[in-house]
Amino acid sequence: MTDTVEVTLKVNNRKATRRVEPRLLLVDFLRHELGLKGAHIGCEQGVCGACTVLIDGRSARSCLHFAVAVQGADIATVESLGSRDALHPIQEAFHKAHGLQCGYCTPGFLATTVELLARNPDPDEAEIRRALTNNICRCTGYANIVKAVRAAAAMRAVPGRAA
Amino acid sequence: MADRRHYIGQDVLRREDEYLLRGRGRFVDDLPTPTDTVHLGFVMSPYAHARIVTIDVSRALAHEGIIAVYTGDDIAKLVQPIVAEIEFPGYHRHGRDVVARGKVRFVGEHVAVVVAENAYAAQDGIELVDVEYEPLPVASDLETATQPGAPLVHDAIPNNLIFKGQFSTKEFAAGFARGEHVIRERFRSGRVAGVPMEPRGCLALPDHVGDSIVFYSSTQIPHLVRTALARCLDVTESRIRVVVPEVGGGFGTKAQIYPEEFVVAALSFDLRRPVKWIQDRREELLTDIHARDHIYDVEIAFDDQGIVHGLKLSLWTNAGAYSTLPFGCTLEATGGARMIVGPYRISNYAYETHAVATHTCPSGAYRGVAQPTCFMAIEGLMDRIGRKLGIDPAEVRLRNMVPTKDLPWVNVVGVRYDTGSFVESLERALAVIDYAGFRARQPADRLVDGKYRGIGICSFTEVSGTGAPGWRARGLVRMPGFDSSIVKVEPTGKVTAYVSHANGGQGHLTTFAQVVADAVGADLADVTIIEGDTGATPYGTNTFASRSAVTGGGTLIRASTKVKEKMRRIAGHMLETAPADIVIEGGRAFVVGVPQVGLDFAGIAETAYSMNNFGLPEGDGYGLEATDFYDPPLVTMANAVHIVQVAVDVEDGRVEIERYLVVHDCGRIINPMIVNGQIHGGTAQGIGEALMEEMVYDSEGQLQNATLLDYLLPTAEDVPNFEIDHLESPSIDAEGGFKGVGEGGVIGAVPAVVNAIADALAGLGININRKPLRPALLVRLMREARAGRPAA
Repeated sequence: MTDTVEVTLKVNNRKATRRVEPRLLLVDFLRHELGLKGAHIGCEQGVCGACTVLIDGRSARSCLHFAVAVQGADIATVESLGSRDALHPIQEAFHKAHGLQCGYCTPGFLATTVELLARNPDPDEAEIRRALTNNICRCTGYANIVKAVRAAAAMRAVPGRAA
Repeated sequence: MADRRHYIGQDVLRREDEYLLRGRGRFVDDLPTPTDTVHLGFVMSPYAHARIVTIDVSRALAHEGIIAVYTGDDIAKLVQPIVAEIEFPGYHRHGRDVVARGKVRFVGEHVAVVVAENAYAAQDGIELVDVEYEPLPVASDLETATQPGAPLVHDAIPNNLIFKGQFSTKEFAAGFARGEHVIRERFRSGRVAGVPMEPRGCLALPDHVGDSIVFYSSTQIPHLVRTALARCLDVTESRIRVVVPEVGGGFGTKAQIYPEEFVVAALSFDLRRPVKWIQDRREELLTDIHARDHIYDVEIAFDDQGIVHGLKLSLWTNAGAYSTLPFGCTLEATGGARMIVGPYRISNYAYETHAVATHTCPSGAYRGVAQPTCFMAIEGLMDRIGRKLGIDPAEVRLRNMVPTKDLPWVNVVGVRYDTGSFVESLERALAVIDYAGFRARQPADRLVDGKYRGIGICSFTEVSGTGAPGWRARGLVRMPGFDSSIVKVEPTGKVTAYVSHANGGQGHLTTFAQVVADAVGADLADVTIIEGDTGATPYGTNTFASRSAVTGGGTLIRASTKVKEKMRRIAGHMLETAPADIVIEGGRAFVVGVPQVGLDFAGIAETAYSMNNFGLPEGDGYGLEATDFYDPPLVTMANAVHIVQVAVDVEDGRVEIERYLVVHDCGRIINPMIVNGQIHGGTAQGIGEALMEEMVYDSEGQLQNATLLDYLLPTAEDVPNFEIDHLESPSIDAEGGFKGVGEGGVIGAVPAVVNAIADALAGLGININRKPLRPALLVRLMREARAGRPAA
């Protein structure tokens, strides 16, 4: 497996080029080539959603894509949210609603929420819960995550399009 | 003068959140690794029971990126077999090689370890180790494993009965006979697991001398891990510092000491290189502890009024292939048998309890341990008594409960309930959910929209904060009960508290800071909590079994109080006032009634650390810190009531939860927001356990659903919103009045949901005595009931 290919992605608005094995998963590219450790690996089968990132604005499982297969794509990870001094309003809403406990699944939930609110700025509870089935959380029982998403929606946290 | 409490009881937002929300939490797989780190891959047995004939590592060693392959015999030179430290009549001790030698005893057991340059190569190497097995007959389930002629899991354990315990009150039979009515039932609980979102992992980093390692592990019990590593690797504790990074959920799954931890540490010493291992989900489901594979055969005797006169239990628990560290396999067996009496005045009781070895994944301490299942049994019996006598099941409970005026109460197995609110909690719950109104509507609601509706109750006690006597009573002779802390007021006047616990999402950095700030009299912002590091914190039992608030909170109060007393003496000395007249709060010490005459903590610390000319009060030495070891009572008993309304769809068998109420009493609440979060999460796990989760083994001992596609976890559409109401009956036995809360959610949810479905279907003559209650099962039961066939 010594053959490598050059992969260029736009990650969080910066171009990143690396030579990697063709079998390298996108999530491992992000985590181990670029040091963006926010997306986590929970199942490597696309079920749990802990590795969810945005690929060209759509939520996607970074464990189900080879890095080489998304050549040229525009990727947004949790590290793109917020500024040095302030959390993104969605992150702030999760904080205030106690929408996280261990925090392992949280970056994936944030990606799903960014996508949901970009598509539907004023979702009702059923729509929120439907969207959140994208991700599994084992700590919170979801109630406070739903509350956080509602609060973020009320703040119009995502203006227009996905990050 | 009593100090006012400033922070305990408040919804303080969590300090842990910002870095986690930014994706900067350092879970074990997120830690930076040196470039010479090697990565491990474990070769797992595909057979549940087999003799290992040969292991050929030549193809693996020839592969690029593979450094070495260790078999069980190689590892045995580095790691002694692990043995659960249980001494109990009826228990059979047995050892386990951390990598199998000779025989494998469950699917997923490790047979070899691949050492590779990177994680991908390690996976390649696993595929290239050629193992020849001679398959052997399998004892796959609890029902058949103890029958004559069943294959033995361990040759030296007859009938696969690892443990048998028994108990009876005096003159049990005579008391039992005083109940005119007897109900017999068998409750069957399907096997589940904690399934934290983060699989486990370890990283061992040798120091530059090559003599010691820093051992990062995704664990709840760093001190117990270090002790076990030191023993089994035969190295002194000083050469191993266990550090707990961010942990992505524990739930008891990570309150175990696993074979991989020994292997990672041993190979780091052996290779003198950093060693990393990250588990994948298949390994997690196959090899992390399972739980709740239980059978309760119960008989209950009661009179015409529904008053219980006797309870007889035969409990069977599936231990899996090995007794695990550190709890062995007696925890579920003793737990279910000892806790089943719950809030009830049952004084005539007899049990036999068993832990049975099978060729399946070992069992362990999943959140709630046996309490979800023992309360499924006793609460199911309360409902049956009501149905048999025509008395409402809530009323049956109230008639049998220990009333608050009788507290403290010592139950039939010797456990003291110091304070509580069993009756008040149930009455409050019935009122809030308008139970009477539901009952009045219920007949009319049946099948109006193709759904049967029911309501289910679980009234329960939650064992929390177990101290040493509590572990001894369950055969765990070497399990400490205490936790410990060091509280320091630093030279700048800021407070640092080091506590023996480890955080896995509970919010310790926030709640423990609230406790310390109040107990020292400091500003919350000036208090920092350090934990999860054996190099920094004193020894303790650590974080499982709803311990944190009781044992961590308790020791922090005690250490803080000692520091505060010293500050009071120093401040009195500096202000030329008697220490008794010094008030300390809000980060200042001042003369009572004269708040303008005072000192801040930095001023006191100057004296304590000899940075001025005041000198110390007579009898005091330098420094401003205190250490405390706190062993709580036998147990600290919380209580709660869950009531749930469900609708069962007659066509597809799906269960919708229409309303969910929890009335909870965990004594003095440190942070209501976090307590509610614990209840939400535990309840969601219990809903999953009641409705969908089950590890399914076939007769060959193959786990049929070792993926998250097949082992279903509840999603946001499966879990309702919760109504939560709190009563506070502070403990009078435990420091601070705290009781634990971590497990209550799952304990209450399983019986409440099962009972609600049973209630919904009782009119059809369906007897619900098992979980999980999946749609396919419910559809079959409803179809059979309508066809007039006897229901299972």
